Amino acid sequence: MNANKIMIMEDDVVIQTELKKLLTGSGYDVRVLSDFANPISDMKAYKPHLIILDIKLPHRSGFSICSEIRSFSNVPIIFVTSCDTDMDELNSIMLGGDAFITKPYHTAILLAKIASLLKRVYEVRQHTDYEWQGAVLHLESSSIEYNGSKAELTKNELKILHFLFNHAGKICSRNDLIDYLWDNQLYVDDNALSVNINRIRDKLASIGLNDFIKTKHRQGYTL
Amino acid sequence: MNGKLYWKNKLPFIILQLLCMLALSVFLLAVGNSLDSILFILFAWILICAASMISAYQKRKKEMAGLLRLQEQLTEQYLLPELMKIPKRADDQVFYFLLKAAEKSMLEHIEAIRRERADYKEYIEQWIHEIKTPITAMKLLCENNQYPFTRELLAELEKTARYTEQALYYARSEHTEKDYSIHEICLLDIVHNAIADNKYLLTKHNVAVNVSKVDRMIFSDEKWVRFILNQLIVNAVKYRTEQLQISIYAEQQNDKVCLYVEDNGIGISANDLPRVFEKGFTGENGRMRQNATGIGLYLCKRLCGKLGIGLDLVSGTDGTTVILSFPVNHYIHQVQG
Repeated sequence: MNANKIMIMEDDVVIQTELKKLLTGSGYDVRVLSDFANPISDMKAYKPHLIILDIKLPHRSGFSICSEIRSFSNVPIIFVTSCDTDMDELNSIMLGGDAFITKPYHTAILLAKIASLLKRVYEVRQHTDYEWQGAVLHLESSSIEYNGSKAELTKNELKILHFLFNHAGKICSRNDLIDYLWDNQLYVDDNALSVNINRIRDKLASIGLNDFIKTKHRQGYTL
Repeated sequence: MNGKLYWKNKLPFIILQLLCMLALSVFLLAVGNSLDSILFILFAWILICAASMISAYQKRKKEMAGLLRLQEQLTEQYLLPELMKIPKRADDQVFYFLLKAAEKSMLEHIEAIRRERADYKEYIEQWIHEIKTPITAMKLLCENNQYPFTRELLAELEKTARYTEQALYYARSEHTEKDYSIHEICLLDIVHNAIADNKYLLTKHNVAVNVSKVDRMIFSDEKWVRFILNQLIVNAVKYRTEQLQISIYAEQQNDKVCLYVEDNGIGISANDLPRVFEKGFTGENGRMRQNATGIGLYLCKRLCGKLGIGLDLVSGTDGTTVILSFPVNHYIHQVQG
């Protein structure tokens, strides 16, 4: 599958590289604009699926770049800026920006916004089923299947398994798990996580998956 | 006008009059006038003189009372000379011009300070926008590179971002009208965003957050409400007990939507309760902890006041509940519907 191409127009060098790292890590093809002399021709050459645009840029403002892009393309544009006045937000919407995110942003929210925009505009099919050692996690029906027997999962349990399946074979620390759940608006504390893990283990055992989630002492869980 | 003092000021004139009367009487007596006619002249003199003096006093008193009343009605009292009539008397005019000069210098002074403040505010806002770039960069660096201390650092960054926001809103709270716009917004989204703003703080202290029944639409400004919620969450964590739980839920009451932020923290003592919204008030709880500034709730109250949101606080030994009540605007629904 061809990765979606994202173009970053941002003048802070550290943010450039780190954002690139983050997005590349999330499976996108990323191009960073380092010279702002000809943003439009650079953009035309790269043909991104989505643009992350800062408002304060050298030479010209993100607003004028946005309106020029809009004159020939409908590519989704996310404004990312530290100016959070209503005028800026209004301007960005009027000029055709698709989203407006203020710094300092939460990476989880930025990634979610990118994913949902791409999904809306390009109808990207997202993974809905995950498979690991014969067990299949169905995201849409919120269940797990093994050898023909199925178990229903609650929201928390589904998200925990989703994270574990995504990082199958690697060790996931409890902190990372809790982070991921919080990013998905499930606010569990340490105890609740243990309770959920135990419940998942019971459910897994009931469909014949024993010791599917292994505990790594002092490190976390792994599939 | 002090009447006693007025007459005291007139004393030399009165004495002069009496001396003149005495001199005239002696002279008239010496040239052979009868006592009767002298007494008549003196009587007439005293009558005319007293009448004119008393009427002058009444007139003056009225004039002064008018000025005093004028000054009382003014909110900006230094503007008095603008409303005064130019006095006719030469000595009064001197005072009038002195007042004018004082007013002018005052106005210049105020204008200079106003300009300075506006400049400073603009600088602060700009600075805050600038500082957000390095904060974002640090955050991204932390999230991309996991080290044992990264979580601690992220929690500190969260704190930095929060103090920065606080400064921004403090600077803005004077002129809210310039920077808010009321939209129909989803309360649930704001609550989730506010929790996300404090993710590392809350997970660090292993807080259980329970959000329920918040899925309602309100009319307000998203940024401001989020800021207020942030302050409330931070307070709950600051004054926590062993195992902190925060419950956030909403309820429709007649013509308003009430958002409850409830914690099981140490609570606020009844003595302190009436003063928690005062600027700089830290109370018993604040004295026990070092980092109370007395700004958070003050700012919340102020912002709520500007946005027309009700802010109430109930507290006991088993925790504190803060209630934000958003008025429901039926008119907008009628227009839209």
